[in-house]
Amino acid sequence: MSSKQEILNALKSAAISPQAMPCIDIAPRIDDLVGQFETSLNTVAGTLHRDGGLSALQTTVDEHIAKGMQIISMVDGIIGNREVSDTAHELKDIDYAVIPGDLGVAENGAIWVNNKSLGHRVTPFICENLLLVIEAKSIVANMHQAAKLMTLATGEFGTFIAGPSKTADIEQALVVGAHGACSLNVYLT
Amino acid sequence: MSTSKSNVHAHKAEIFCKDESRVDWHSKALWMLREKRDRAAGSLPEWEQLRHIGSEMKLHTLTHLAQYLEEFEQNCVANNIKVHWAKDGAEHNQIVHQILAKHQVKKVVKSKSMLTEECHMNPYLEDRGIEVIDTDLGERIIQLAKMPPSHIVVPAIHMKKEEVGDLFHEKLGTNAGASDPLYLTRAARSHLREQFLSADAAMTGVNMAVADTGAVVVCTNEGNADMGANLPKLQLHSMGIDKVVPDLDSAAVLLRTLARNATGQPITTYSSFYRGPQEGGEMHVIIVDNGRTEMLKDKILAESLKCIRCGGCLNTCPVYRRSGGYSYNYTIPGPIGIAVGAQNDDTNSIPWACTLCGSCTYVCPTKVPLDKIIHHHRRLKAEAGKLPYGKSSYMPLVGKFMASETALNCSMGIARTALKILPGSVLKPFSGAWGKYRELPVAPNSSFEAWFKKNRG
Repeated sequence: MSSKQEILNALKSAAISPQAMPCIDIAPRIDDLVGQFETSLNTVAGTLHRDGGLSALQTTVDEHIAKGMQIISMVDGIIGNREVSDTAHELKDIDYAVIPGDLGVAENGAIWVNNKSLGHRVTPFICENLLLVIEAKSIVANMHQAAKLMTLATGEFGTFIAGPSKTADIEQALVVGAHGACSLNVYLT
Repeated sequence: MSTSKSNVHAHKAEIFCKDESRVDWHSKALWMLREKRDRAAGSLPEWEQLRHIGSEMKLHTLTHLAQYLEEFEQNCVANNIKVHWAKDGAEHNQIVHQILAKHQVKKVVKSKSMLTEECHMNPYLEDRGIEVIDTDLGERIIQLAKMPPSHIVVPAIHMKKEEVGDLFHEKLGTNAGASDPLYLTRAARSHLREQFLSADAAMTGVNMAVADTGAVVVCTNEGNADMGANLPKLQLHSMGIDKVVPDLDSAAVLLRTLARNATGQPITTYSSFYRGPQEGGEMHVIIVDNGRTEMLKDKILAESLKCIRCGGCLNTCPVYRRSGGYSYNYTIPGPIGIAVGAQNDDTNSIPWACTLCGSCTYVCPTKVPLDKIIHHHRRLKAEAGKLPYGKSSYMPLVGKFMASETALNCSMGIARTALKILPGSVLKPFSGAWGKYRELPVAPNSSFEAWFKKNRG
């Protein structure tokens, strides 16, 4: 008998009688979604830029380029100085990645990013700093709403990103910048 | 008896407790996490509702597990994910090794997975010439120090920054005497970057496996799981059968409570959904039983499979905080470690590493009745004739004694008198281990029964 069959057979002797699936019915907090999102984003060490939109972002990107930084942009209308590379590994010297987020979550500051906007899947993790762009109208109240709207077609990868990477593994001291990006700036459009 | 004294919980705890200031520091560090958790939970008006739904959803899934596992497998296959089934740790390790050997893998980068710890996978692969690099900072620290994790979420919580500094100086060449966490973390970041970029394969654990989409969800704060899984072309994910959830809505419920209950964060930095391999890559999921179906046959033990491994019960546990993660004789320490590990504990002592205070059950985000399960383990040990600490010889006598009204009344009368007239130094030895850190009680004037008859009878 295969291990799969053995496991499935063993499950027939489970002791608890079948339980019904509960109804997930939690009222969202819908007041001032952008304000809630900004507060949450600050909690997770990210920064929101409410005003200026894409032109403010392009100005920032240009300043970084002038300083010799390597910037890849996956956002239409934002111009960096690097293209999507042949291999994921070639992204190892990227200083800034500009990436569009599909939706923001007010309760925790997380932003959903789908691999269609990444070039290589590793882009938002391998870059030294991350610049995300989301539309104000794409911010939802909580994860229950986000679960309904997140796009994840067959074969795809997607991730909720809440702030820059961080760790507190040495004596509980928070250090921002572990293995992923060391900073996160979010531009609202 | 085959059990040596050196492995029983009380003895190992005693070793940990020798340095009192360190115990205080350890306890405080964990309590800080509990306080953060309380603030995060308190900020959500629906917190109790989320715990309730989380518990019910997990129970529903566990009682329909065969159906959801098969649904998960079918959807994985449709997403070009290869699925393997392992009945125990040994089979899991063989499957992983076969996949890695087929691809001539020399180096694997691994993010945190308590399951691979449970299966003792690292030494198995290392014996076969495959280098396994743990990439979570805490895990890398203990891997370099050649120690097992002492906590399931913060595995190096028992180490002081100076000790990490010395270790990194020796292994990674950081400056001698440097112990600043920012400096040490940056050093680990650059050291591990090289590992990510040169790895042939990546492995991760699984926080949730979504049945109706055929996707695995992996949560980290450091980004190490995603740096790993998205660079080499081969990715492996190991999961216990208890990790499956019906759908994305269910996963969302757990994503709301997991990090809040673990560290007080509203969500982990990265909650990644893998619904297929990267372009030109290969993705494998290994579904492991390793004793879980056996636990499901006992309706009290079964509930421990609702656990989502947030570590909240460790942080609140008065025994764990003061005895450390290495006192439990099992990979997973603390209340959940007792719940899922006691049946394999050959010292038969860990179910007694608990005051039955119930704080763990109170904080659990999926309402695992931990104190009830631990109490149940004591019963199972007694039924199997495996009571520790000499309990099997004196507990039956205590039982008989307390069942006899005359014997009990008579001896309690003597005890009350003795407490009044004899000095503590004479009586203390009779209280055994109980009296070691406690003062003897003040004797009441009469028994409760006598008091009741006089005042209320």
